Amino acid sequence: MATPLRVVHYLNQFFAGIGGEEMANTPPRRQEGAVGSGRPLQQALKDEGTVVATLICGDNYLSDALDNALAAIAAMLQEIKPDVVVAGPAFESGRYGLACAAVCKAAQQLGIPALTGMHPDNPGVESGRPDILVVPTGATPVHMQTALTAMTRLAIKLGRKESLGSAETEGFLPRGVREAYRREAPGYQRALEMLRAKLRGQRFATEVPILIPERVPPAAPIVDLTHATIALVTTGGLVRKGNPDRQVSANATRYFRHNVSELESLSGKDWEAYHAGYFNHIVNKNPNYILPLSFMRDLERNGEIGGIYPFMYALPGVSTPVAQARRMGREVARELAEARVSGCLLVAT
Amino acid sequence: MTKEIERAGIPTAQISAIYEFAMTTGANRVVRGSRIEHVCGDPDLGPEKDYAYGLRIIRTALKALQTAVVGPTLFDPAELMDS
Repeated sequence: MATPLRVVHYLNQFFAGIGGEEMANTPPRRQEGAVGSGRPLQQALKDEGTVVATLICGDNYLSDALDNALAAIAAMLQEIKPDVVVAGPAFESGRYGLACAAVCKAAQQLGIPALTGMHPDNPGVESGRPDILVVPTGATPVHMQTALTAMTRLAIKLGRKESLGSAETEGFLPRGVREAYRREAPGYQRALEMLRAKLRGQRFATEVPILIPERVPPAAPIVDLTHATIALVTTGGLVRKGNPDRQVSANATRYFRHNVSELESLSGKDWEAYHAGYFNHIVNKNPNYILPLSFMRDLERNGEIGGIYPFMYALPGVSTPVAQARRMGREVARELAEARVSGCLLVAT
Repeated sequence: MTKEIERAGIPTAQISAIYEFAMTTGANRVVRGSRIEHVCGDPDLGPEKDYAYGLRIIRTALKALQTAVVGPTLFDPAELMDS
């Protein structure tokens, strides 16, 4: 029997049993051994590992004083020198999920393997990509036992410094990391095997999983366009001439908002496209092709529309992961909803 | 992004030359644009026709905003009734 692994468990105030929201400002503290939901973790580890210490921090403290909190946690980890850090599971709790991802990153920077568990929709999953190993869990602590079983299996592998297989075989969420390796059989044989299994009604696993896009209920139509305020958004990479905001040309994580209330149309003297996904020279001569301000002003003058929202939103929509697009879309949507905008035109290149 | 703005209750028309892609990714109001390099118009038509084509695309998009839909729906500027 190998020596039991030394495991450090990270918990928030709630799962450590300190208290609820009123204790969310608790600074990091260390307790010896397993605490709160660390007890079932210890049971799941059996004699393969020992929870030597539990690090506890309030979710609000961690997010408000991130640098201080992580420095304190890193100092504790350096002192304890565990073989592996297990954070959470955080289920659907967003703040806790972000905290778990941050703690895992801090541990990994010290060379200590780490993993966490949370629901696939937890924002901590996205914040941890591509560095953090996240085991998918159910939405609520009802799923604690299943989550800990899966996390423990992976934690033992990590602690023993065993090499990991793909996300699918090891049971963590895909991090978007591609690894080249040699398949046992060539593509045509694997495809035929899949077809044979399918025809027999047997299970088979596709090698090219297709993400089924989520459907959104359509918004109600505009009843009176002549009193409607319309917002303009472009993913065509529109920037001010010379790109003073230093927007990227692909894989954008931020959009820019520009005031167009004083503008009649967009001139190639003041605006240009910075977008790695298409030839920009035509738009550079006439940026209204990707942000149709000139047309909209004419329609506004004609009285066909009520008005144009003073701010337009721009980013290059190329290589943007869905989760990033969703986040930016939500931010724009929140602003437009607060401003009571009636409708939106989004030009996508 | 289109879907998130629609989700907030704001009807959103996505104008795109790759309109099939907008449809399959679940945008509810999709308007057929010209080409990727000049979505709202076509410089090869000459200034007047280019402008008229662009305006037609925008009017189609505004029509889309005024139309009740149940799921991803394509609005084609070629089918816009002359008003």
